[in-house]
Amino acid sequence: MTRSRVVAALAAMLTALLLQTTLIAALTMPVPVSLPAVTVAAIALVDGPGAGISYGFVAGLIADLASVHPAGVLALGWLGVGLACGLAANRVSLRRDVAVAALVCALVSGAVTLLLSMLPTDGATAGRVISDFVPTLLGDAALALVLVPIVRVFLRSGSLRSPHTTQAALLVRADR
Amino acid sequence: MRRLTRRQRLAAAILAALALGFIGLDLGGTGLSSAHSGVRGALGSLYRGTDGVLGPLRRFAEAAPHAASDEQRLRELQQQNSQLRKQLADARTDHRTASTLRKLRLTASSLGYHVLPARVSALGSGQGFDWTATLSVGRADGVRAGQTVTDGYALVGRVLHADTSSSVVLLGVDPGSGVGARAVDSGQLGVVTGQGVDGYTFAPLDPHAKLRVGERLVSGAAGHSSIVAGLTIGTLRSVHTGTDGSTEADVSPQSSPTSLDLVGVIVETPAAAKLAGGR
Repeated sequence: MTRSRVVAALAAMLTALLLQTTLIAALTMPVPVSLPAVTVAAIALVDGPGAGISYGFVAGLIADLASVHPAGVLALGWLGVGLACGLAANRVSLRRDVAVAALVCALVSGAVTLLLSMLPTDGATAGRVISDFVPTLLGDAALALVLVPIVRVFLRSGSLRSPHTTQAALLVRADR
Repeated sequence: MRRLTRRQRLAAAILAALALGFIGLDLGGTGLSSAHSGVRGALGSLYRGTDGVLGPLRRFAEAAPHAASDEQRLRELQQQNSQLRKQLADARTDHRTASTLRKLRLTASSLGYHVLPARVSALGSGQGFDWTATLSVGRADGVRAGQTVTDGYALVGRVLHADTSSSVVLLGVDPGSGVGARAVDSGQLGVVTGQGVDGYTFAPLDPHAKLRVGERLVSGAAGHSSIVAGLTIGTLRSVHTGTDGSTEADVSPQSSPTSLDLVGVIVETPAAAKLAGGR
């Protein structure tokens, strides 16, 4: 992993967390649309499950530590987002990747809400998982529609390209 | 669908175990409280800085869906505000009217007159016309030509003519109006003549009478007059000597001719009542 990729990942993480707290959360309240989760999904869709797992875990842990619920909940959830999106990535069809990102993020968001509702320290209720699913799916899809192409462009640029990306792309095409 | 490599599976398992460990650790005690406070402190200042930039955008976006309903609410509030202002103005007018009525009743009871309250419904403001006021009472209420009109304390004028339900009053400040008057301090009798918005001019019967600025003038017998005596006309504003050596004084009116609202017509004086009783 190159230094520029680490710096870019940290910058993306901070930007997503700041935008989520100051803008997205306020505009989409009470639906739990999550920009950092969609960012994890977009990175995993382009760079594969390895990058998705590590980026998701670190971003989730920072978000956990900055909030009032127990640390590790979002780290586990976004790790799952990175893993699932990395495995389900198509890398050719943008629409399919956007749909995968939105679906995985909405499912994981529901799972996180369910987990938090079982923990004694949070006010989340399991009943919201069902009612929030469709709005969350649509909100995440809207974010993914913007974010996935941007992340594709960045991560395919010369300085941020993963050393394994070309090999991974070839493997995907060989699978077909 | 891709498959995980062995290293990726191991990394995923370790990170998942770590996350579960963090959850257990955080639920179990205060092991991560300092980490929580450190990250919250570091991100808190970044949140504040970002909110300073994005706050206006967020507030605009938050307000946009409610713009139509806010406009409707604004219209409702404006309407409510104007209604309240009207109520307040009405209350002030009512208070002023009540105060004038109280004054009129006091005058009537102290002087033994019967005062008929009347509202000024029109005012002729000079400019080529007579200084007159139209009252909302007339012959049916007992108003007759020549009766005195007061605002409860000061002289307003006298009834010029009365119809069935309205009457016209010639105001004291009309340039054609002459009223007998007495200077209260010096006791000098004379005639006050109306000067429109400037008030009155007082000409004492004794051309060399000593008058003092600030002296109060009341209506009083001087020649043949139907005006009730004892009503305040005004105060002497300036005293000067005419070209023929006679003394004259400018008088500031006690009752402003341009702000008349509720007045009283003195429909019966004690002398008239005595006459009526003697019949």
